[in-house]
Amino acid sequence: MAVAALSTSRLTKDYGAGHGLFDLDLVIHPQQVFGYLGPNGAGKTTTIRCVMGMIRPTSGSAHVFGIDCMRDSVEVKKRVGYLPGDIPQFGGMRGQEIVAYFGGMRGGVDAKRVSGLCDRFDLDLGRRFREYSSGNKQKLGIVLAFMHAPDLFILDEPTGGLDPLNQQEFYRLLREERDRGATVLLSSHVLSEVEHICDQVGIIRAGRLVKVADLAELHRIRFHRVELEFAPGSDIPETAIRHAAGVTDFHFEDRIVTCTVHGSFAPLLHALRGAEVTNLVSREPSLEEMFLEYYQERSGLPLLP
Amino acid sequence: MGFLYSLRLTRWGIAGFSSLAFTLTLLQSVGFYQVVGHTPAERAAFGRSMAQLAAQFTVLIAAPIRPDTVGGYVQWRAYSFFAIVFAIWALVSAYGAARGDEERGLVEQVLATGTARTDALVVRILGFAAGCIVAVMAAALGVAAGVAGAHESIGIDSLAGASVNLLGLALSCYALTLLVCQFAPSRYATAASAIVMLGLFLLNSLSRQLDQLSGWRWLSPFRYYDLSQPLAPGGAFDARGVEVLFGGAVVMTVAAAVAFSYRDVGSPLVRVSVAAHPDVREPDGNPVWRVPVLRGIYDRRTGLAVWTIGIALLGVLMVILTKSIVEPLLGLAQLRPYFNLFITGGIYPSFLGFIWFGFAQLLIAGYAIAQVARWSAEDTDGRLEGVLSNPISRRGVLIERATVLTIGALVIAAVSGVAVGIESHAQSIDLDLGRLTAASLLLVPMAMFFAAIGAMLASLLPRATVGLLGGFAFVSYFIVQVAPIFHWPSWTLDLSAFHLYGQPLSSGVDITGLVIMLVVVAVGFAASALIMERRDVGA
Repeated sequence: MAVAALSTSRLTKDYGAGHGLFDLDLVIHPQQVFGYLGPNGAGKTTTIRCVMGMIRPTSGSAHVFGIDCMRDSVEVKKRVGYLPGDIPQFGGMRGQEIVAYFGGMRGGVDAKRVSGLCDRFDLDLGRRFREYSSGNKQKLGIVLAFMHAPDLFILDEPTGGLDPLNQQEFYRLLREERDRGATVLLSSHVLSEVEHICDQVGIIRAGRLVKVADLAELHRIRFHRVELEFAPGSDIPETAIRHAAGVTDFHFEDRIVTCTVHGSFAPLLHALRGAEVTNLVSREPSLEEMFLEYYQERSGLPLLP
Repeated sequence: MGFLYSLRLTRWGIAGFSSLAFTLTLLQSVGFYQVVGHTPAERAAFGRSMAQLAAQFTVLIAAPIRPDTVGGYVQWRAYSFFAIVFAIWALVSAYGAARGDEERGLVEQVLATGTARTDALVVRILGFAAGCIVAVMAAALGVAAGVAGAHESIGIDSLAGASVNLLGLALSCYALTLLVCQFAPSRYATAASAIVMLGLFLLNSLSRQLDQLSGWRWLSPFRYYDLSQPLAPGGAFDARGVEVLFGGAVVMTVAAAVAFSYRDVGSPLVRVSVAAHPDVREPDGNPVWRVPVLRGIYDRRTGLAVWTIGIALLGVLMVILTKSIVEPLLGLAQLRPYFNLFITGGIYPSFLGFIWFGFAQLLIAGYAIAQVARWSAEDTDGRLEGVLSNPISRRGVLIERATVLTIGALVIAAVSGVAVGIESHAQSIDLDLGRLTAASLLLVPMAMFFAAIGAMLASLLPRATVGLLGGFAFVSYFIVQVAPIFHWPSWTLDLSAFHLYGQPLSSGVDITGLVIMLVVVAVGFAASALIMERRDVGA
């Protein structure tokens, strides 16, 4: 079996007062694009900084391609392209100097690849860092993370500050890198972004990983907003619908029933047996809505395994 | 932005400059009674000596009035010096208010709350004014305490006059910087303000020697400050001069506020459009970026050049002044005990060794502290994290930093040593080449000494590092300069880092001091390496 591109075992960083990251067990396989989702302060950046050796875990371990992230952090970083959540401040240095400085530290950076990346994102390296807009600073961070064609990308909220066109270009770049054989760990709180590019998603909340699922699985646990309109004068099986398995948020007004259906439609359809439904609208929720629903725990229903 | 918040932003400046002002005036007034003598004749002779000494420095500081009295002496030794110190404080503080806060995005946040631009500016100047009032009162308190210790007294009106005069100068310099900052791009605002301030200072001080400039000195706020010397008996309090200082501050603040209301936040009032240039898509081809250590030196090349040239020029200036200062003073019997404190060989090498290399140690410590400040800043602005995302170990970063600093210190020491050697030869001052080389090279371990302590502090208390290290350097310098005069016990000298340097120009290398410095360097860097390996980056 191939060694995992990234794995953590009971990785913990305890900041006290319940803040931090706790007992994280995560495996990302090679050539996988893994979306790491969670609201602000959930522990995404803490995980990433632990893996990059920037902060020392309280306990547990992390490995990149089987290499220990704490003991052999230099070896780990040879194979990683890292985009931090906050781009470092380089003051008056020009973009070309920053790329040369970091490229010199890393060695083996192909200037053609750098110029190719700059072309894709229309980034002028001749300007000083302090003159860059926030979007251009982010583009520079992307160039620094991608310029050496690493095996693993660790990207902390990479599209922040990019306009929609550049976001699309970034997604294309990620897909190309995956096709080349690279693995990606991408943290985000934008679910549509994950929907675009990720094969698998991990959801973290209050420092704990609460779910790992591939996109198909995530869609299986999704819910639907349903609106049913009944024919005038017909009987409405209100009680049966209300008590059907997986049905929540039931609302009935003027012969129109609205509700949310979790999981299978079968119980609802069973409840509707014999009823005269003139219109049925089922709206598929976005991942954002699923995410919010999941976090707010309004339904109280467990996620499907 | 509230007044209290404005005060909070300047709290370290208030604490630091108030402490400095109090300490300096206290020590000068206490010191006066130690050296002035006991009889009227001794005092008169001392006054003549001081006037003769001051005559050598009128190009920088105004001549004293009645230096045989505690008021005249403190006015000259402390309040003349305060003109420079408070001007620097005003410059730094006003730059922060005018452009530094903009760089950090603070001004946008404040304006977004609905605060008027004028209000934001006025609140900042009021905050500085309040801090300045505390500092000038601390200075006055120091004088009063020193004089009271000798069972004498000094008029409260004199102290109030000196305080108001100093406050007027500080506010005038603050407003001037505010105004200049409205016209300069952010990255040049400090330099532009400093050049204007230095120009006005030199205009006033040089006009004492050059008649051609005297017609223009009305432009300089330092001129109006010099008009009042209220602490000295017979020294006037020039109300009109003080009015000009306060009036000028008001006018310049209003002008700055008008300019601020018309310019874009983050840009100067007059913006030069950027010339079009073809986009650059490739990394800089300079090979130095690929060589560890060299890339660090190259990155800091401008700063290193400024430090090197500045220290070398100061060294040359000191050599040029040596004979003209020492020769008249040798004739003063009252100063012989003072000279005997440090003269161990030839008079000129001893003088240069004590005055120049004593000062050079402080400067090289300043260079080391500036580098340590950069290390701390790299930790907080994410640059260290950026560096460590490359395949380079934390220990490697530390070694590279230490090596860059050592080479920088070596360049500064070598260039200043050569400059002092050449100028000494030109001035017919006979220096032992070997000792001059040793004295210059000893500045390198001195820089490393401060850097090692700084590296350790930066790993433990990154935010407080510069303050603590700067305080240590200042106190060390102060002890070495003052302890022999006041006959402090010898153990106090051991508290000073600069005591380890010895007197290499006149007495050769102090091996014990050198060994202690090297041990501290080794222990400091080893400890900081251990701490750095274990700590969280950016924490």
